[in-house]
Amino acid sequence: MSGTRTRVRHVYVHVPFCHRICPYCGFYKHQPGKTSYETFAGALTNELRFALRDCEVVPRTLYFGGGTPSILPGNVWRGLVEGMGREVDLSGLEEWNLEANPRTFDEAKAAVWVETGVTRVSLGVQAFDEGSLQVLGRDHGPEDVAEAVNALRRAGIREVNIDLMFSVPGQRLADWERSLHAALDLAPDHLSTYNLTYEEDTEFLQRYESGEWTADADRDAEFFLLADRLLGEAGWVHYEVSNFARPGHESVHNRAYWAGADYLGLGPSAVSTIGGARWRNLPDTVRWVGQIQGVGHARLDGESLSEIQLGMERMALLLRTSEGVPRSWVEEDLAENLIGEGLAEWRDASFVLTTGGMMVADEIAAYLC
Amino acid sequence: MGTELTRNFSIIAHIDHGKTTLSDRLLEVTRTVAEREQQDQLLDSMDLERERGITIKSHPVTMSYPSRDGKVYKLNLLDTPGHVDFSYEVSRSLAACEGALLLIDAAQGVEAQTLANVNLAHQQKLVVIPVINKVDLPAADIPRINHQLEDILQMPAEEAIQASGKMGIGIVDILEAVIERVPPPPEPADTLLRASVFDSVYDSYRGVVSYVRLFSGRIAKGTKITMMSTGKTYEVKEVGVFTPRMTKLGELVNGDVGYIIANMKSPSEVKIGDTITETAKPAPEPLPGFKEIQPMVFSGIYPVSTDDFESLKAAVGKLQINDAAFTFTAESSAALGFGFRCGFLGLLHMEIVQERLRREFNMDVISTYPGVVYELTLSNGQELHVDNPTLWPDPGTIEEIREPLVKAFIMVPNDYIGEVLQLVAEKRGWVDHTETLDGTRVMLTAMLPLNEILVDFNDKLKSSTRGYGSMDYEHAGTQPSSLVKMDILINGEPVDAFSTIVHREKAESRGRDLAKRLKEVIPRQLFQVPIQAAIGAKVIARESISALRKNVTAKCYGGDITRKRKLLEKQKEGKKKMKAIGRVNIPQEAFIEVLKSSTSD
Repeated sequence: MSGTRTRVRHVYVHVPFCHRICPYCGFYKHQPGKTSYETFAGALTNELRFALRDCEVVPRTLYFGGGTPSILPGNVWRGLVEGMGREVDLSGLEEWNLEANPRTFDEAKAAVWVETGVTRVSLGVQAFDEGSLQVLGRDHGPEDVAEAVNALRRAGIREVNIDLMFSVPGQRLADWERSLHAALDLAPDHLSTYNLTYEEDTEFLQRYESGEWTADADRDAEFFLLADRLLGEAGWVHYEVSNFARPGHESVHNRAYWAGADYLGLGPSAVSTIGGARWRNLPDTVRWVGQIQGVGHARLDGESLSEIQLGMERMALLLRTSEGVPRSWVEEDLAENLIGEGLAEWRDASFVLTTGGMMVADEIAAYLC
Repeated sequence: MGTELTRNFSIIAHIDHGKTTLSDRLLEVTRTVAEREQQDQLLDSMDLERERGITIKSHPVTMSYPSRDGKVYKLNLLDTPGHVDFSYEVSRSLAACEGALLLIDAAQGVEAQTLANVNLAHQQKLVVIPVINKVDLPAADIPRINHQLEDILQMPAEEAIQASGKMGIGIVDILEAVIERVPPPPEPADTLLRASVFDSVYDSYRGVVSYVRLFSGRIAKGTKITMMSTGKTYEVKEVGVFTPRMTKLGELVNGDVGYIIANMKSPSEVKIGDTITETAKPAPEPLPGFKEIQPMVFSGIYPVSTDDFESLKAAVGKLQINDAAFTFTAESSAALGFGFRCGFLGLLHMEIVQERLRREFNMDVISTYPGVVYELTLSNGQELHVDNPTLWPDPGTIEEIREPLVKAFIMVPNDYIGEVLQLVAEKRGWVDHTETLDGTRVMLTAMLPLNEILVDFNDKLKSSTRGYGSMDYEHAGTQPSSLVKMDILINGEPVDAFSTIVHREKAESRGRDLAKRLKEVIPRQLFQVPIQAAIGAKVIARESISALRKNVTAKCYGGDITRKRKLLEKQKEGKKKMKAIGRVNIPQEAFIEVLKSSTSD
């Protein structure tokens, strides 16, 4: 990146620590131990400083994901924010998100988050029924979730998201419906509803491959449509395949990904995309810290994306949203085929998928690309 | 020089009745092959022949044998193909002999193929010497075989020689019987050259090698010869005999069996059954029995990977060099890409070619449903031979359709007659007559459309008779038949690879079956995909693949985007291997899957 430095407006920070490893999760994570939280926070600040050699970072959104970012003790968090604040100007932040698991924080810790600038907390809930929670290996119950939401509200978190999962083995449509109602009862601002995916290197994938569990696209569709209908009736906006919001509460950070904005990723395994270049950090906390301390960064898998590749990504990502893609991006006859099947529609100058289309967005992207 | 010390004979037998082992033993006893050179099945040189215990090419050999009468005889043994697919080649080999050893397994007895072979030998007016082989087997039942000989084959039982190729029993008796009973080659009326070609091979160093039997005259290096069917002339470069390796001689004379090499460029220049004569003093008439070989069974052969077309083209070309009966022409299919329309003598021949492509040329190939040659008379009087469903004319223009028939000899234990009658009826055949053989078995002679026995008749016969039924057949003309072209339409468009000619009454069940199988293997699409079987515009069976309801990545954030794009790139790449049919894309593997299952069961 020579000449004028690219200005990056979105930053992702990966916090890999989890008390308990969930058997379905495909993200890079591990239990705390080898690397102290302080060392980890120090390395993040160093990594950010090194990144500033190549680009200007003026964040509009900041997203702490994981792992379990809420695991960090209040004082470590405070120190981390101070450290980052010395490197970049955090005053222009519109959204500062933090992922949290119930039972990893209390109101006092949430108050520290609010004090340092966090505006949005995304709670990893997954389900409200005992059966699904048990299959998913979660260590919290429905009452823990209510307590967590209350703590966040009392501490002054403006936006609360709840993550839910469907098509969990053993989960019935009625369980899903109850989970959705239970989530709505807690009055969150945003709901992410994820179809269970059998990710690489997980216990779940083994059980799926062994034939113990099966996938069924028709059943998945029933779950998907139920959420769409139920949340729609409650006045929520289905603004991306897996995301619903009360109007005006859509996630700014995530929309930036879908719109193809540049983003800087910090922490082990985090991905960055800046000016057509993409790289991933080492997915190994100890080695990541070592490299940051040694050479200032821990990037690997660097690739330079062609215009065609970027275009494909943008198309695939925007098709997943209620915004859709500009009319000019799609071939008219192909689009009409999809519209004829009720999978899409023209909306002003855009081509937008219907709910039925969203369910087969991967096929549609392939069809249109 | 006279021919009184020459005997030309062949061995005919049902598969597995020990023909090759006995031949090897004859070679050993006559010291044609030193014992240390012996390896089992000397005459079957092709790997596939060895493995399947069948003979595909002829393997002549000249032996020298000092008889009990004190004279040394020249014995020419012509090992012949044993399968009906090669019956023309067999007839040419037999025509080169004056006698035949008929091998019967002492335990299994007379089989369907035994009868067909005996009929062929009688047609060539050969002296037949029955040999009961494998008499050493615990299950050997010689009295029963003797009965069968008299009852079924009408041969005096006392003419039979008891032998065991494996144990070396009766070998000398056989050789002596050949000398006593098989007449020497007849004295010719003149000295004009007449040599019959009964096989040929292509050797990349020496060119075309023709296997010949001389009926009159002589031939030597330098002789100018004419092939009587084509009129083309050549100069002989070498002549010789098989010992069993090719051994050069000064000349071949009346009564000899051997080889000639002339300056022929292509294997197609020599035709089996053709007569070779001397250009300067030609025979007035060729020897009788020559026919152009016509393929009876046709099938499309395609590379599984479309990139392999050029290699397949090279492979079929090379195969044809030593298998003149195999024909091919390039064709292209909307579903399968570029491939070849291939013609075969019959089912075994087809299997052998497919197997050789896989084994010797490492080709991964897929075949379309096999078909036969139909004779059509059009309303305008034109006669048409159609071997490819895609060339089937508009039904409105067809006056009459005739399909090839076979006469099948089916031998079954009495207990299974009902099952076999049912199978024959199912295959649109009828039983012409039934003979009781020996109290436990019957021989059914049935007429069947060739088309109906192409795919699974033999397997069904075996499975419905617990493996005891055996079958052989000969071609038996044609019969008018109510046949139709059935198309399979996917998304309203016909898919050529699945078009077949079927009997009107069978169209529906076959159509339903194909549609169902396609439905199983075609992945669900964005759109509902109708599959129809149709005769002309009339749909006779339909299935529908319902639209895919859900396929979407759940999480698509910063770290997931590359994965999403790679998935998309993979889908795009995959699309290249798909066949676009209307607005749907169907993976070629789906077609292949269905073709595999429908041609193998």
